[in-house]
Amino acid sequence: MQSTTMNAIEVSHLRRTFSSQIGVIKRTAKEVVAVDDVSFRIEEGELFGLLGPNGAGKTTTVKMLTTLLIPTGGSASVKGFDVVAWADEVRKRIGFIFGGERGLYWRLSGIDNLRYFASLYGIDPDVTKKRIPFLLDMVGLNGRGDEKVQGYSRGMKQRLHVARTLLHEPDVLFLDEPTLGLDPVGAREFRQVILNLQSEKKTILLTTHYMFEADALCDRIAIINHGSIIAIDTPGGLKTHVRDLNVVEVETFGIPDGIVEKLRALPFADSLSVEDQGQKQMLLIQTSRGAEAVPDVMSALEGLKVGRVIVREPTLEDAYVRLVGGKA
Amino acid sequence: MNLRTLVKYWRTILIVAEMNIRQQLMDGFIVFTVLFQPIIIALLGLFMLKDKGADAAMFVVVGSGLTGLWSSLLFISGGSINFERWTGTLEPLVAVPTPFEVIVFGKNLGNVVQSLVSMVVGYFIAALAFGYKLEIQQPLLFAVSILLAIIAFISFGLVIAPVFVMNPNVRAWQNAMEFPVYILCGFLFPVLLLPAWTNPVSWLLPPYWAAVALHGTSTEGASLNQILFAWGMLLLFSVMDLFIASRLFKLMLYKARADATLGME
Repeated sequence: MQSTTMNAIEVSHLRRTFSSQIGVIKRTAKEVVAVDDVSFRIEEGELFGLLGPNGAGKTTTVKMLTTLLIPTGGSASVKGFDVVAWADEVRKRIGFIFGGERGLYWRLSGIDNLRYFASLYGIDPDVTKKRIPFLLDMVGLNGRGDEKVQGYSRGMKQRLHVARTLLHEPDVLFLDEPTLGLDPVGAREFRQVILNLQSEKKTILLTTHYMFEADALCDRIAIINHGSIIAIDTPGGLKTHVRDLNVVEVETFGIPDGIVEKLRALPFADSLSVEDQGQKQMLLIQTSRGAEAVPDVMSALEGLKVGRVIVREPTLEDAYVRLVGGKA
Repeated sequence: MNLRTLVKYWRTILIVAEMNIRQQLMDGFIVFTVLFQPIIIALLGLFMLKDKGADAAMFVVVGSGLTGLWSSLLFISGGSINFERWTGTLEPLVAVPTPFEVIVFGKNLGNVVQSLVSMVVGYFIAALAFGYKLEIQQPLLFAVSILLAIIAFISFGLVIAPVFVMNPNVRAWQNAMEFPVYILCGFLFPVLLLPAWTNPVSWLLPPYWAAVALHGTSTEGASLNQILFAWGMLLLFSVMDLFIASRLFKLMLYKARADATLGME
């Protein structure tokens, strides 16, 4: 039943497990916990980020909130309606986008895709006729609506997803890695679309891998790892987790076995992650010693070809790395 | 699902059917299944019964059209939910306020209507290429029979689709179910030619009653009582199938949400 709360989304001790079979002849059931005791609240009009590594439970959480998955335990409500008991009421009030190109009819034009979904949402044909050009214009697909979706770029498909999602003017939007695979320009344009939606007072739950995106867009962020929320705060608040630290960035060209372990063992290395950038690797070492740590780091890397070395202030990504354990 | 639901969503059903047809016209497999295969069957039948007269030719034309209807039901309607899952559209479809079975009803309507094109093409081939002067014996009753057959095929498709989704083992028999039904339902020759023990199986299949009604009204093969009985059976099967389908869809969607099988990750 609808509650009188002002929160757009309320999640309480949500849990979801999956069972799978192992073995061919002797089959045994294995239970995997995807989401474990997750609780959070999102206020009306808030842009809330859900960050976490692959398999952390972001998409499973979103699917439960969008009524596509039944929770194993706990409860969740959207606009006051329980996502299991009142799934139909929830569906009228939400829109969702899952990252990627699927979820559209490629053999139909963009306009026909929208016409189709407008009819499924029970929107009056006269309203549909006005709304489709408006939405195509809003997402930057004006003049391309008559073309078949199979000819659209990935970014265009994502924008068509947004238009489809907004057809019935939902109050709450779930955007699950919406910029995944978009080129930098497409991703930037898409972020602008998200900001426009936020300015319309839509409540948005955004999941993303891109820290700068979450930092730039979100009012608050929850970090989820191994199915559990490990921190919820504003981007600024999360950065305070690494306020005492600096980050030493070292560009290397080929890291032999054992070096990463050697660096991790350094007493001042709070956490360490490695970004593979093609032929080079970027070592990111969080340390409270700042520039003083550089000589020791360089000595641990002795014999290796090293490029740029930078000591910088921590970012949201550094806070994220520290919170999820720095094992990237 | 009941008549009130269908009336409430009539506009949505028509748009779903239209979009379904427009997509499928670009799919070679579907065009072959619902159009070319029945035409090939019609040509074979017309050659085999070359000297048997216009009534036999009409039997072939209607029968080949029925093969198109059944193949369309079996492969396209039967696989429609899995198709949506593969394309990633199942999740957005489940999340709309329109009941999912209404959407599949619209898709089945599109499938059935487009497969009737093969019957029309078969008619013109028989008339133009073979020179038959074809005449539907009881046009009004034939039109009613077509309408009831369409409803019965759509409703039967609504039962098949969730069964195929929930039981992948049944789906494995999809290919093996095509031709036996052509034979058991008397699409291409009367079931009287089959052993008597097969008749009860035929009676349990809605396409059999569609064949009785359509063959009976297009040729001089059936009395009014037989046609009325076939209509009654078509209506009975339609109502039963719609009732069963609404339960199956509820079960299927709940199971899919519980087992996380709506999407394909």
